[in-house]
Amino acid sequence: MWRYAFKRLLVAVPMLLGIALLTFVLMRISPGNYLDTVRMDPQFSKETIARYEQLYQLDKPLFYQYVQWVKNLLRLELGYSFYYNVPVYKIIGERIWNTFVLSLAAFLLTWCVAIPLGIWAALNRNRFADRAIQFFSCIALSLPSFFLGMILLFWASQTGMLPLGGMHSPDYESFGWPGRLVDLLKHLAIPAVALSIGSIAALQRIMRGNMLEVLGQKYILTAHAKGLSQRRVVYHHALRNAINPLITLLGYEFSSLLSGAALIEIICGWPGLGSLMLTAVRSKDVYLVMASMMMGGVLFIIGNLLADIALAKADPRIRYD
Amino acid sequence: MNPHLCLNPCPKLRPRQHNNNRIRVRGPLTRKSFSLKTVFPLLLSVSFLLPIFYSSASACAAQYGGQLILATTSDPKSFNEITAKETSTSLVTDLIFEGLTTTNAFTTKVEPNLAKSWDISEDGLIWTFHLREDVRWNDGQPFTADDVVFTFNKLIYNPDIPSSARDIFTIDDKTFTVEKVDDHTVRFVLPVKFAPFLRGMGQAILPKHKLEEIVAQGRFNFTWGIDTDPKEIVGTGPFNLVRYDPGQRLVFERNPYYWKKSIEGGPLPYLEKIIYLIVQSTDVGLLKFMEGTLDGYALRGMDYPMIKPLEKKGNFTVYDLGPDMGSQFLFFNQNPGKNPNSGEYFVAPYKLAWFTDREFRKAVAHAIDKQKIIEIVNNKLGYPQSSTMGSAAGFFYNPDVAEYDYDLDKAKTILREAGFVDRDGDGVIEGPRGGRVEFSLYTNAGSTDRVDIASIIRQDLERLGMKVNFRALEFNTLVSQLTSSFQWEAVILGLTGGIEPHFGKNVWMSSGQLHMWYPMQEKPATDWEKRIDEIFTQGVQELDENKRKVLYDEYQRIVAEELPIIYTVLSARLYAVRDKFGNLKPTSYGGVFHNPEELYIKEESR
Repeated sequence: MWRYAFKRLLVAVPMLLGIALLTFVLMRISPGNYLDTVRMDPQFSKETIARYEQLYQLDKPLFYQYVQWVKNLLRLELGYSFYYNVPVYKIIGERIWNTFVLSLAAFLLTWCVAIPLGIWAALNRNRFADRAIQFFSCIALSLPSFFLGMILLFWASQTGMLPLGGMHSPDYESFGWPGRLVDLLKHLAIPAVALSIGSIAALQRIMRGNMLEVLGQKYILTAHAKGLSQRRVVYHHALRNAINPLITLLGYEFSSLLSGAALIEIICGWPGLGSLMLTAVRSKDVYLVMASMMMGGVLFIIGNLLADIALAKADPRIRYD
Repeated sequence: MNPHLCLNPCPKLRPRQHNNNRIRVRGPLTRKSFSLKTVFPLLLSVSFLLPIFYSSASACAAQYGGQLILATTSDPKSFNEITAKETSTSLVTDLIFEGLTTTNAFTTKVEPNLAKSWDISEDGLIWTFHLREDVRWNDGQPFTADDVVFTFNKLIYNPDIPSSARDIFTIDDKTFTVEKVDDHTVRFVLPVKFAPFLRGMGQAILPKHKLEEIVAQGRFNFTWGIDTDPKEIVGTGPFNLVRYDPGQRLVFERNPYYWKKSIEGGPLPYLEKIIYLIVQSTDVGLLKFMEGTLDGYALRGMDYPMIKPLEKKGNFTVYDLGPDMGSQFLFFNQNPGKNPNSGEYFVAPYKLAWFTDREFRKAVAHAIDKQKIIEIVNNKLGYPQSSTMGSAAGFFYNPDVAEYDYDLDKAKTILREAGFVDRDGDGVIEGPRGGRVEFSLYTNAGSTDRVDIASIIRQDLERLGMKVNFRALEFNTLVSQLTSSFQWEAVILGLTGGIEPHFGKNVWMSSGQLHMWYPMQEKPATDWEKRIDEIFTQGVQELDENKRKVLYDEYQRIVAEELPIIYTVLSARLYAVRDKFGNLKPTSYGGVFHNPEELYIKEESR
């Protein structure tokens, strides 16, 4: 098992460098570069623009830039952002954490609600509860999350029950830690709910489907025939088999932890990575984009690896060696 | 507690007149917020006006304390005033830094600021500035001539530091000589006469004692980035940055060392804090304003009908500050050049013949339905633009230029007389020497306003019998086409204007790289472009403002006559402000909060 994990991690290195090269090439062959906005400003002369090009090494060939970037990466440096003139890690450090907090909250909310809901719907197949859940799932699935976010914010502005966006209150510093936690949860509520409603609907349906399939199996019938209680049959025999495909899904979800929330972050004023990366891509702030691609890549690889390992733990039939 | 007049008779303001014609990228979620301008204490005519105001308005007390909470749509990119490249930075630096002179928000005239007076030599080349002696940096250090000399010689003229200030203060590759005469006197020696010099002296001055070592070590380009401890950022302005939470808020506190005094001689500013919340979505910003979190909010035309009726209930007032500085316009490619690699013409020669034909451009100008654009795009809150300097430019604005009313029949007549007729009966007109009048029209996809304007214009052009292929491009793609590949036919874009015409020289002089319809000409392609070159060359050397105005009036007339750029409309600047501030004096040039140090919170709102 551990040998397998090690091998997977070893393969990840060329994969990441490949992602980096591809990003570099794509950023370069699409028209324009970071200095285009400056170029359109009458206050900047050609000489000044040339000076910027030198400063950012944009006048050097693509391959040279790539090699420099890889060299820096080996020293664990991610380069400087053109836009901000500060090292990339200083800009994204805090924001990664913020996005992570929001994504994790949405993730926990999704899984903690969707799995039991799916099971319950499956056990009450075609009864009223199931029908109601499926009906509302349809609505939730077709509601774009940013729209839901807007509605929730409007509701909050009318009732004053929750803060309108942001992550902390202005006087956050003066609270003790329970106060800070409550403050954070209050600010989390709207974006996390807006993010997870759609996923709950989707995941719940998958869970219900899997559960129904397993419940139709012969061994479930056998278990019932042995006189096991309904509870034991469902949770001990059916659930463990039904949840297998979801574990794979979990790995993918992990990789999208840092990238899935951009729109909601913008609407709810959550100080995360989303809008930062959006502007970085649009303004061609290459090293900032590279950093985000790398993080996405690393998370994807780790997420898949974790999913594979978890799968092996959950299902004794799976072996990697 | 400090007694103060409610109506302050004569406030002044300083020039942070940067960008005459900066391209604006306005996406659906971004929006220019009005920058705060700093103000100058009262020097003139106070004694004359005081009795009137005492009698007409009962004196009320300005009080210290309280805060102003506003919103901005994007994070600052840097706190480094010299290397900064865009406006989200000047929002911050305008509160912290000041220049030797300032522009009055009411009259747009240049006035003293950190310099209390100046002398000019007869030939107009030697300027001696006498600095105020009571100015301190916000860390308590005294402000002296050394700081001014340092800012120019070590920062702006430093070859290793790229900045647009260097381009402003360099004339024909020659820099100014800046030297200290004594601790509070600085002398500037100019290579040639330079009319915008005094306004340009609104350039922020930075502290030598904080930055000298950093510059010596070559680290200045990466200094005062957004990761800096706010305490390190030292200026002379009315407020200090005390806190920056990325993506959330900027907090400013009053500078206890601020030199400006109220008219009774008390310290300024009154407000304890200014807070900028970073709210990326304009819709959420509006919700926050309605809810009462924000004290002021820039409205879009579409918000107006919903917000205006709520004024009383919400305890706020909507101010209409008149037309915006930023223009939206249409222009055609008149570049006769060829691609040096492929040998292809940038514009097919038969199309170039139309685009360089003034009658063709006139017909197009008559086909632009400005009223409809104002109605649809600006929600009826806009102004038609004819002159290249918008009316917000004040002194240099020339209202007396050729106007092109919306008249499709007239446009058709002009086209017919110029030889554009539909000869083969396919519904599309042909040029005088043949060829269907079909061209592509681009704008940047990020601006919904421009996309809307383009579709209105396109409809009318098709009524004239032209075939217009419209495409919205990504901003970078459009810029590449305009500045390096030159392969485009017609474009709709916007530039933000200013009050100093000379700062538009890169757009209007034929050698400029932003002379977009035919950039970087070796010698002027037409007589009128030659004349505009002359006007800009003369105008920059003419120190008599009135004689300058005559010159720039002519330039505006020529542009309206020749139509290299066909203007559309200017949107109205609308700003809603909670009714709790004293000394609030919105002006067209300065915006709503141009005098943050004078604002105070009224008694009844406390």
